[in-house]
Amino acid sequence: MYGGGYIPGQENEKPDQFQEDPVKLKEFEDRIARGEKIEPHDWMPRGYRKQLIRMIEQHAHSEIIGALPEGTWITRAPGFRRKMALIAKVQDEVGHGQLLYNAAETLGKSREEMMADLLSGKSKYSNVFNYPAKTWADVAVIGFLIDAAAIVNQVANSKGSYGPYCRALERICYEESFHLKQGHDAFVALATGTKKQRAMLQDAVNRWYRPIIHFFGPPDVASVHTEKLMRWKVKMMSNDAMRNQYLSSYVPKVRELGIDFPDPNLRKNADGTWSFSDPDWDEFKRVIKGDGPCNKERLAVRKWVETEHRWIREALFNPNAKYTLPLS
Amino acid sequence: MNKEAAQELMLKMADDALIYGHRLSEWTGIGPILEEDIAFSSISQDKVGHAWQLYQLLEEDFGMPGPDQLGFGRKENEYKCCRLNELYTRDYAFALIRHFLMDHAEFIRYSLLRASSYEALAQLAKKVRGEIKYHVLHADTWVKKLGAATEESHSRMQAALNEAFPYALGIFEPGPLEQELIDTGIFIGEERLQSEWLDEIRPIIEESGLQLPATTDAAMGGRSGNHSSDLADLLEEMSEVLRSDPGANW
Amino acid sequence: MEKSLDPRIARLNIQRNEEGASPIGKHEYGESFEVFVQSRRGKQHVHAGTVHASDPGMALIFAKEQFGRRQHCVNMWVVATSEIFAFQYADSDMFETVPEKLHREPGGYKVRDKIEAYRKKISQQKADKS
Repeated sequence: MYGGGYIPGQENEKPDQFQEDPVKLKEFEDRIARGEKIEPHDWMPRGYRKQLIRMIEQHAHSEIIGALPEGTWITRAPGFRRKMALIAKVQDEVGHGQLLYNAAETLGKSREEMMADLLSGKSKYSNVFNYPAKTWADVAVIGFLIDAAAIVNQVANSKGSYGPYCRALERICYEESFHLKQGHDAFVALATGTKKQRAMLQDAVNRWYRPIIHFFGPPDVASVHTEKLMRWKVKMMSNDAMRNQYLSSYVPKVRELGIDFPDPNLRKNADGTWSFSDPDWDEFKRVIKGDGPCNKERLAVRKWVETEHRWIREALFNPNAKYTLPLS
Repeated sequence: MNKEAAQELMLKMADDALIYGHRLSEWTGIGPILEEDIAFSSISQDKVGHAWQLYQLLEEDFGMPGPDQLGFGRKENEYKCCRLNELYTRDYAFALIRHFLMDHAEFIRYSLLRASSYEALAQLAKKVRGEIKYHVLHADTWVKKLGAATEESHSRMQAALNEAFPYALGIFEPGPLEQELIDTGIFIGEERLQSEWLDEIRPIIEESGLQLPATTDAAMGGRSGNHSSDLADLLEEMSEVLRSDPGANW
Repeated sequence: MEKSLDPRIARLNIQRNEEGASPIGKHEYGESFEVFVQSRRGKQHVHAGTVHASDPGMALIFAKEQFGRRQHCVNMWVVATSEIFAFQYADSDMFETVPEKLHREPGGYKVRDKIEAYRKKISQQKADKS
């Protein structure tokens, strides 16, 4: 799942933080302008490397943390089909994390460092996984509406400039399309089911509406930094463009089932953009910073995983192993 | 063919696969290493899938209720899984040892069933045996690695083996219709399975630097529906959503 | 920690531990291995990605599920990344083909014209004789 469009920390970056060799920079930018990909050992501006590590790493964290809210229902999934599908889906999220950590590693940051930064709170991840999955309907909402949002973002990013990230995203997008179908199927089953099921679904949609609006990040503000990230094909679409594309595709698919969003101001404008009520961007910032309903639990669980199984890593550890960055 | 006997065998195999697969899925998303999380989760899905296929066969050939009702809707004492599979653990050493002991038995069982006089079961056994071959390779790789690596990993694995072994002997608890199964050529029998199993696991355990417990005490009862409270808890949890709105389509 | 909504997590009985050093040491996740997947007999093994593992045997059991669970495979290879030798992208101009190297391309050999001319000549000769 789930890079989100928003990269926490990007707003603190100064556009000309690093002085780069103008000849190499021009070669690099020309290559990207020609539509060629950048590969791991190519020369690249430090700002590019830094931003990509941050973005891919946060995407990876979002995958493995994203496995937790849905994992909430693994042991309670109703019936064989849902049970196997949910295990497979959560497994895919972990698999995406694995692919993305490798992609980020090619840029020079080890998986160990990334995991340590996640546990210490230094690295962030998508806001949406800090909300609880209270009922089975949350699994349907996450599988349909959150995955759909992630696809918008990931399809855009898969056309970016960094080869390893594009390759990982190609496979991820392929698997996400299966998740989306499965999520839609579970969503429709509830929407067309009993009164109780519909009520459960509407309740879940109500709770997830705001985090979904937050997902793509705050409204666009033009900045030199963003302009540069777009030119370098690190950021492929603006937050608002992604959000508008998403709402145009999925709001009708929810409304056709007689389910609605808890916002009387949610509507499409004549120019194709969407309006919605103020979603409280302060809440978004608080959640990203660590003060959402589930942040503490999510990190405590990952910390348990690493602490509890240290004996296994120590047993496997080979002191003579040569550490090498993944090839691609 | 003796229908009751075949039904007895398939039901315990299906229950084993479901309960064991369910226990494995408790690690999905929180496994010890990302790559291992993925591998263990695949094994979990395979097991739940095997259970599903067996329950389907029970429905088609013997007119039993469908997989969702059979798998999620019976009382605790109607389940015929062995007690090894129902035990809850948060210890990965135990999870691996159970996996090792159980999957060696599964692999031999399904291999032998390829020759079953019950054709549908023989077909199913041929189909799923390849998956279980991987499960065994996975288990062997881990047991060999952790059995001898560090003092801590050795002692954790040995402790888990000591605890799990009597339960593993319970895998081979014969059912009431055991003799009919053998006489009609449906299955070669639990006694033969156990002896082949011991021949398989013994050298691997020795190679891993572990010791096979000397005990012959087996934790019996599972095959006749006598379970620990762990199974009751598991079933209540597993059926929570289904029970919340009976008759609904999920 | 507050009781988790996930019964699996609730059972772990995690004591929240906010302080304390990182539980992850340097290079604890093992070496990286490159994975090559053969989709069908007769096809080549193709690079599929990377796994972290302690040794090749472990790398294989990990690779099978991470790179084989969704696509059909008949075989896989793993090799430690550190054992792979590669060119530098900075030298990729070495691979650029100059147009004069037509002797390596199928288009560099145009025999049809010669054959046609020869056949014309022979049939002319035959016609002249008769």
